[in-house]
Amino acid sequence: MLKSILLTAVALAIAIVGGAGSVWLALERDFGFDTVTIGNWVAFPQHGTPQADPYSRARFSREADLALGRAEGLVFTARRDADGQLLSLECAYRIEGEFPPSRFWTLSARDAEDALIVTDGGRAPALHSLALLRHPDEAADVGVSAHAAPGNWLAVQGSGPFTLVLTLYDTAIASSARIGEVELPRIVREGCDE
Amino acid sequence: MSRLLHALVVGLVGAGIVHIVVLLLVPVYSERDAWSALSQQANFYRTVRLDPPGAPPLIGSLDPLIDAVACRFDLRDGVVRVHGEGQVPYWSISVHDRAGLNVYSFNDRSSPRGLFDFVVATPAQMIGLRNALPPELDDSIFIEADTAEGIVVVRAFVPDESWEPTITAWLRGVACTLH
Repeated sequence: MLKSILLTAVALAIAIVGGAGSVWLALERDFGFDTVTIGNWVAFPQHGTPQADPYSRARFSREADLALGRAEGLVFTARRDADGQLLSLECAYRIEGEFPPSRFWTLSARDAEDALIVTDGGRAPALHSLALLRHPDEAADVGVSAHAAPGNWLAVQGSGPFTLVLTLYDTAIASSARIGEVELPRIVREGCDE
Repeated sequence: MSRLLHALVVGLVGAGIVHIVVLLLVPVYSERDAWSALSQQANFYRTVRLDPPGAPPLIGSLDPLIDAVACRFDLRDGVVRVHGEGQVPYWSISVHDRAGLNVYSFNDRSSPRGLFDFVVATPAQMIGLRNALPPELDDSIFIEADTAEGIVVVRAFVPDESWEPTITAWLRGVACTLH
């Protein structure tokens, strides 16, 4: 009798702890389906829409978010550089290459807690494509570092890992099934503080 | 031994069921969603700045170069009209359901003459509106939303700080009214 009660308790404990714990783990990590990965950039085109998978929806409901729709834009985030290293606030990066067609895009940086990085100097915490210095062939490089850089410079400060957020507004690729064929710029590490 | 194994298997199957149930219930019981954040700020049909100046934004993921306002509505009270005057470099409007999921979005390029004048209605209300269109809604763009309660979000692009007063004034002019 005591044995069967004990076995029932074991089964129940596994069910409740394992079931709830695995949901918690899945939501704490950025686990999800329907992600689009291009180079080191990741987008969740369905995030925050009724087409999103249950994991994405559960995570969405816990973060007080109102996601951009297809007619509005698409958000790409990057945590690693072209060599696969985590982006670090102690390093300087150059973002080079083509940006996908869009009406305009913005680029900003967020820290490990997903808070926007705003520098003390009062610089705008984001760059956008309508106010960039461009090469004669229209291409543009963007520098990301804590130290002032010539050309287009996204200023950051602090230490530890960070995330780059590239938001494309009014872009045809947000509503296209061929989103995976789009090219995004590379994030190249230029050097780090000792 | 076999009974212990039996208990373990039953436990694992139960864990799978609990996993699915908990996963589907999280959105239903969440009190950290956008709706809860907005309902602490203002009542239905009142626009709220999502990025109040000098305070942390209500929506953590908001782009720093975008200013936005939102209002909550309940279509069971009647259709809701969202309109504003003036020109800004870029605006977009989106309709979200009670859970905050984006069910409809629209930007200024898709609007005839760049007019900002929208009416959100359920499919049933749309039929009524088509049969007898009030003259003041002649120029409006109709958005069909199959939801009772929901949120309208209006975003505008701020190219640089000198635009801030213009964009703020434009967003303040956005009216969210029960019609």
